[in-house]
Amino acid sequence: MLVMSDINKVYQTELVQTHALRDFNLTVKEGEFIAVTGPSGSGKTTFLNIAGLLENISSGDYQLDGQSIVGLSDKELSRLRNEKIGFIFQGFNLIPDLNLFENVDVPLRYRGFNSKERKQKIEHALELVGLASRMKHLPSQLSGGQQQRVAIARALAGEPKFLLADEPTGNLDSLMAKQVMELLEKINKQGTTIVMVTHDAELARRAERNIQIVDGQLCDFTMYQGGATANEQEAIA
Amino acid sequence: MFSYYIQLAIKSLKSTIGTTLLMVLAIACGIGISMTALTLNHMTGNNPISEKSDQLFAVQLQSTGSSSTWSTTDNVPEQLTYQDATNLMRALPELKHTPMYKTGFSVRTLDPEFAPVLRSSRVTTRHFFSMFDVNFLYGGPWSKTVDENPTFQVVISEELNDKLFGGGDNTGKEIFLNATTYQIVGITESWQPKPKFYDVNNGAFQSSEQLFIPFVLSSVYELQSWGNNNGWKEERVNNYQEKLASEILWTQYWAELPTKKDQDKFSQFLSGYVSQQQKLARFERDDAKGIIRNVQQWLDYNDVVGDDSYVLVAVSFMFLVVCLVNSIGLLLAKFLRNAPHVGVRRALGASRGQVFAQHLVEVGMLGLLGGLLGLAFAYFGLSLLKNNFDGFDFVASMDITMFLAAPIIAVSATVLAGIYPAWRVCTTLPSIYLKTQ
Repeated sequence: MLVMSDINKVYQTELVQTHALRDFNLTVKEGEFIAVTGPSGSGKTTFLNIAGLLENISSGDYQLDGQSIVGLSDKELSRLRNEKIGFIFQGFNLIPDLNLFENVDVPLRYRGFNSKERKQKIEHALELVGLASRMKHLPSQLSGGQQQRVAIARALAGEPKFLLADEPTGNLDSLMAKQVMELLEKINKQGTTIVMVTHDAELARRAERNIQIVDGQLCDFTMYQGGATANEQEAIA
Repeated sequence: MFSYYIQLAIKSLKSTIGTTLLMVLAIACGIGISMTALTLNHMTGNNPISEKSDQLFAVQLQSTGSSSTWSTTDNVPEQLTYQDATNLMRALPELKHTPMYKTGFSVRTLDPEFAPVLRSSRVTTRHFFSMFDVNFLYGGPWSKTVDENPTFQVVISEELNDKLFGGGDNTGKEIFLNATTYQIVGITESWQPKPKFYDVNNGAFQSSEQLFIPFVLSSVYELQSWGNNNGWKEERVNNYQEKLASEILWTQYWAELPTKKDQDKFSQFLSGYVSQQQKLARFERDDAKGIIRNVQQWLDYNDVVGDDSYVLVAVSFMFLVVCLVNSIGLLLAKFLRNAPHVGVRRALGASRGQVFAQHLVEVGMLGLLGGLLGLAFAYFGLSLLKNNFDGFDFVASMDITMFLAAPIIAVSATVLAGIYPAWRVCTTLPSIYLKTQ
């Protein structure tokens, strides 16, 4: 599903060169649920941005669903992102001027579905998160947990193979966090691959596999249910 | 996607209604001012008879004294003396050419209850109507005989016909022009060339006349000119007959010369006429000459669209640029404030091109709103000119070209101005904003 080989990401300013990721190797199998942990500034967000095709790599190779992203144009990357990847953010990132229906509609618009298909997919996604009855509400009329569920519905509406979640429960109380986590587990069981960045060790333990990034490198991992790949073994060694 | 972009643009404009109004107002002010100036320039620069522009020629003669100077670029007067006009009129009968001048009458019907109205009149020959494509509703021009033998016949305009009789075919009826009765032989369709090219010397943007009477009546009826009378010679002019024989310049002269051969023939005739007048010691100058200019040359020669009109257009467009620069600032602030939402859209699959297009559509809508409001401002500005200043009746009004140009200019200019803010927002890294939302 996702294969990162010898990825390096360097941020260059006039005075400083920062290695956000160094010789980063990771393979994520289809259907896995992986938790990514690590201290602040370790490179988790850079990893997530690169995995989500929001940032280019400085060197190395990244294959998403069998396709190398190296050398792709912005248009091709956007298309790939739209079709293969769903995003869930800590701050929900719903567009405040759009109601729930319109928020979930955003990725579908860029996919080019017709209005009938879009309506069907939006209603299905909102039903999945239990908010179908509130599709005309604005995000500001919902609680934090509900907003995150809408964000999940938006991420799932286009039926991506791969879900990237950046601290999805970071802004939620424990009850809401539990509900969101259960929802993610349900989605994963239905076959969607999930990579979740979290600081919460308890949430991380609920994932199939737990990897840790320190100083831009994959330095440790724990298998709860699955197993490490040869690449990762090599990377750790 | 275009309809989606329009929906998003409407939402975005509504969500920041204050900023939107400011931007629309700024664009509208710029468009209103520039369209007002452009309309005046466009209407004054119009060639009202473009299809015959190369066939109709204004005639000039350098008949002034050797020490006289004139305000024209080549020092040749725009008008002719009455004696030159009548001399030319009698020559080359195979070609259409006509003298003319402006006069006016108190007009009334034979109905004693009818209150007289004052109307300007053109004194000319029957050729005037066919040369300048003046169409008739009823009847037609007077005959050749009437051009040669003074007869009290008149052609009136549709407007005057409505005023006098309430419309209808009234040819054959008589009306009073001052105290003399004239028989109506023709009623013209409404005719208002803009500018009034055949007599720019007496006001290029005045109304066309509503009465036309035979030129031959001038000498017997002593019709005074309502236009400019330019004298250069010290001479005794105590009565009308002395005026007719004087060197006072007060008539206009036009010829229709459809072919090069006709033009050469007429020019040759003019040269001969000038030589003859030099021999008679009437034309004193060694460089005396006859000149013909077609309509466009005539309008340019008379500076109908003055340089100040172009300067005004340039200044007004500079004002539009200032308005647009202000709008760019507001747009940039607005777009960058919405950059986090752009980041979300990018994360969800929007390409840079799609984000750029979305913002340009929003800018285009702003331009359209500004253009429509600007059109209203321009209409208001032109009405103010029309109602408060003389000579703007026919130029201070928008034709369909200007009406369509306003929103097109507004949208184009705003989209052009909006390229930078749209480019800025679409090139920002989405990852920066996704964390900061």
